[in-house]
Amino acid sequence: MSIVSNLLLLTLLGVLLNVIFYKSEVVQKYISLIIFAILTYLSIVMYPLVGSHFEIPFLIAGQHIGFTITYLNYYFALMITGITLLTVIFSLKFIKGKEGNTHYYTVLFLKTFGMLGVILSSDLLTFFVFWEIMSWSTFALMSTGGEPAHRSAFKYFVFAVTASMILMAGVILSYSLFGSFDFAVIHGKMASLSLPMTGFLLTIFITSFSIESAVFPVHSWLPDGYSNTFTTFTAYLSGISTRIGIYGIILFLFGVFGIQTVDKLGIIGKINFRYVFGIFAALTMIVPTFTALYQHDAKKLIAWHSVGQGGYMLIGLASGSALGIAGGMFHVLNHMAYVVLIVFAIASVEYRTGTTNLNKLGGLIKKMPVSYLALLFGIIGLAGLPPMNGFVSKWFIYRALILGGYPFLAIAAVIGTLGTILSVYKLIHNMFLGQLPERYNDVKEVGFSMQLPMWILMIVVLGLGVYPGLAMGLIAKIQVSLGLAAVPYALHGIKAASGQLDMLVVSAVFIGGIAVTWIIYLLGNRRKHVGQYNNYAGGNFLNKSVAYNFNYEFYAALEHVIDPYRKKIIERTERGIASVTDAVSEYIRRIYTGMINTYGIYVVTAFVVTIIILKELI
Amino acid sequence: MNTVLWIVFLPILLFVIGTFMLGYSRKYVARIERRYGPPIQQVFYDIFKLMSKKTNISHGWMHDFAILMLLGGTLLTMYFVPVPGFHFFAQYGDMLVIMYILLIPALGMALGVGETANPNGSIGISRALMMLAGYDIPFVLTFIGFAMINHTTSMYELIQVQQAGGFAGWGLISQPLLGIAALIALQGMLGEKPFEVMVAPHEIATGPMTEMGGKFLGIMMIQHAISIVVELTIYINLFLGGAVNWFDYLLKLFILFTALISVNAVFGRFRTDDAVRFMWKIPLPLAIIGILFIIF
Amino acid sequence: MDEKITQRSVWEKISAKLSKRSLWMLHYCTGCGAIELPPTMTARFDMERFGINPMVTPRQADILLITGYLSVKTLKRVVLTYEQMQAPKYVVGFGSCTINGGMYWNSYSTMKSLDRYIPVETYIAGCMPRPEAIIASFNELINKIDRGEANSWKDYYNNYNFYKENQEHTFEGPIETYNDIKADAALFNIK
Repeated sequence: MSIVSNLLLLTLLGVLLNVIFYKSEVVQKYISLIIFAILTYLSIVMYPLVGSHFEIPFLIAGQHIGFTITYLNYYFALMITGITLLTVIFSLKFIKGKEGNTHYYTVLFLKTFGMLGVILSSDLLTFFVFWEIMSWSTFALMSTGGEPAHRSAFKYFVFAVTASMILMAGVILSYSLFGSFDFAVIHGKMASLSLPMTGFLLTIFITSFSIESAVFPVHSWLPDGYSNTFTTFTAYLSGISTRIGIYGIILFLFGVFGIQTVDKLGIIGKINFRYVFGIFAALTMIVPTFTALYQHDAKKLIAWHSVGQGGYMLIGLASGSALGIAGGMFHVLNHMAYVVLIVFAIASVEYRTGTTNLNKLGGLIKKMPVSYLALLFGIIGLAGLPPMNGFVSKWFIYRALILGGYPFLAIAAVIGTLGTILSVYKLIHNMFLGQLPERYNDVKEVGFSMQLPMWILMIVVLGLGVYPGLAMGLIAKIQVSLGLAAVPYALHGIKAASGQLDMLVVSAVFIGGIAVTWIIYLLGNRRKHVGQYNNYAGGNFLNKSVAYNFNYEFYAALEHVIDPYRKKIIERTERGIASVTDAVSEYIRRIYTGMINTYGIYVVTAFVVTIIILKELI
Repeated sequence: MNTVLWIVFLPILLFVIGTFMLGYSRKYVARIERRYGPPIQQVFYDIFKLMSKKTNISHGWMHDFAILMLLGGTLLTMYFVPVPGFHFFAQYGDMLVIMYILLIPALGMALGVGETANPNGSIGISRALMMLAGYDIPFVLTFIGFAMINHTTSMYELIQVQQAGGFAGWGLISQPLLGIAALIALQGMLGEKPFEVMVAPHEIATGPMTEMGGKFLGIMMIQHAISIVVELTIYINLFLGGAVNWFDYLLKLFILFTALISVNAVFGRFRTDDAVRFMWKIPLPLAIIGILFIIF
Repeated sequence: MDEKITQRSVWEKISAKLSKRSLWMLHYCTGCGAIELPPTMTARFDMERFGINPMVTPRQADILLITGYLSVKTLKRVVLTYEQMQAPKYVVGFGSCTINGGMYWNSYSTMKSLDRYIPVETYIAGCMPRPEAIIASFNELINKIDRGEANSWKDYYNNYNFYKENQEHTFEGPIETYNDIKADAALFNIK
């Protein structure tokens, strides 16, 4: 059969084998390693099959349903299988002896199954079914790791169920409107739909996916949920799981509805659907990024950033230009590479020291240089500085916003970047720089199986930064396949009428600058390395019993400045959401009147409505 | 051939200009304080002395590499900023690239200072980054507005657009609000008083430079000299119509720098949160109003 | 001494000529002498015209100016600071207290002669020495550097045992400065 069924069945086989061998961690880990290696291989060789279609050999509600391979699917499938393979390699040692590791690989397989199903599905019904599997397994992933994880996973559950209900409403509504589940058929009939109805339907879908991709103000499930579980799961979840929501948005915005339809949805003047969407994206960039400044836990800090970086992808998509959409899509890949790299580095530190508390660590650069380097590459990517990959996609987005005439969305992106730079420096400083506490004197670098994924990702982060064309080729094809203008890319950057970007030249000049500086550096006398206690302390004597470090409340002054604004925005939003939920719940509560005749009316009404709907459907 | 010559001699040229400007600023401040002041070539002596120090202590490989990243990143920025007669690299990177490669030296420095394990240094970096959040938002916003009105993000094209309009085409004249906002932000970018929170010798022992001595400090001073010229050049290119020739360029550098160090000479130092608040209360609204003028 | 001068290469002579124009000073002010420094730095005497600037940390400084008396406690800090400075480094003892204990001659807790603990380049006699005296001594230091005679910092490495013995005697035990003087001596090709 086709490669799609192989992919999905193989993942299911993985679930099955892991359930069978749930007692033996060794068997589990090698099975998982082998199957994910095969999955990665399969998704790479899927390329020639792009455009092919695979149908389930029976009709459902008189409809053909099934899977299809497009460039967009291929792009996401590669990311999913690739990053899962790296996560599994990293986990081989990491999860050893941890509580809850017996079902570690099982839920990983189940989650991959759900995600692959979602991205490969060619119709709404399959999409929805796999979406549910994915949400459920996300819940399972999040709830591993003790009591706090259970609570925060439940928070996710509430959000995910809401998202699913909204999505189901959208599925039913579009079926009743178009009489088909198939994306291509719906896309074909879209022009015949009235504009308000289109807007309503699009809003339903986008809302559902926004909850899954943690757009402000429905992001609050993510930071806790991602940071309380295993650190490897944090990597996996922030790297790819959240981005399936972005996949949904790309698919529905450009694949199902089409950019021409979306552009018709004007509100007032220049303010159209995309612009409103962009405003939410801008808030998603700014608010979570500045919340990250306040975090004292490395995992939580990165979890907040993975909310914030979602805003860049969305704002790129919202810009509507070829460059911006390419930037948004490229940022999904870039974000995956660097955020997983960062979390792997954090996990390495956790593996060796047992903590991710930023106030307790410090000075580990002397003990764990490879993890430090990994974190450094990751944060340069996350902060969006050349020559790492994060810069390239952010450059696309800034440029698209500026030339598209959205100065305030562009400045939101810049503010987000500045907040990111601040908090990632805090992250690397508090973990790896500063004074090494005496208790970490015996810490060693992590082993090869944990270093390997980090090295691979470092190469990816740097490689995509210097040669963005490697990914841009595929992205340009995605854009063409979605009926958009393709971005004019070159191997090392972008071709444009004015202000090109050539990352190879930037990197080469940077290396040249470093070389020149090195010559100047060698002109001086030899440098001498000294220990951390040989340090200026105003004439005080330092030794291991003197804590001489600055990491607690790193940005106290800035926090002092932004606290009032933060209180206004966040607290008011959260109170607003709470009061809306309260009011809605109050209404729902009134349904239960406690009188038997009211319930009788409900039953009759429900019966009638069901019959009407069934009549419509069949 | 010409390009190669520029590539070789531009760093040297800007270094010489930068050191003389720093020497001039010391002399200028000394005259304001009614002192005689050091000779104008004093900064050369300082750099030479530092480079020839016999011990150079370092706290580890990141400390060593940071100093390379610092000057390397500044040289990178320098090549991408067009100066009269040389804009070879402008075709490979626009203003957005320049805005972000400007941060590479700061990041390199921050990492190196972090490894020195000195809290004074860490506080200095923390302050520097907070100031960055203060001045960079208005500065980038002015650039965004200026780029939007001219439909290009290339610095070289922005210069040409301004020069085509003559004196009235200068950014400062055509968009005065943006120009003034950027000027205030530039003062923060140069780290001059009243935004000198990062160095603050009396509070945090020169912050990032605490553990830097010998050739490390020497390279930092070289970097400082070049980066001052580069940052002023960015402002000249964006708001003072670029420069048609080197005489024009040096004149504009001199006038702009004198204006900024005059402010520097007579002000005290803001507290960090006040400095950030100032940046968000004066230049940022100015820039926003300027952009609203452009849109409507 | 003449022998030493002739040994200097041309490069060293040029280097001395340029380096003497930039001397950064770390002032260690425990005694009353600190009050003489502001006039030295400001408009009246302006030592910046000689390229002498006050600096904050020992890593950046060339001159360690010690004003006034040193108790046993503060001397420990002076030794630490001195060892943290980057060679070549010059100590200037300011006031009678650093020379012979001055008016604290009879005190039980102050040390009397600074050069028993760290090598001193020049002394400024007087109680208090005026800013003119400070400027004069800096000029003397500059001339010494020019002539290649300001090499007292090498004594610390050459005669480390002497200084260490005196320090330990006064401090009643060794102090841990995390500076390996023996290894540094090898760095400068001293023994």
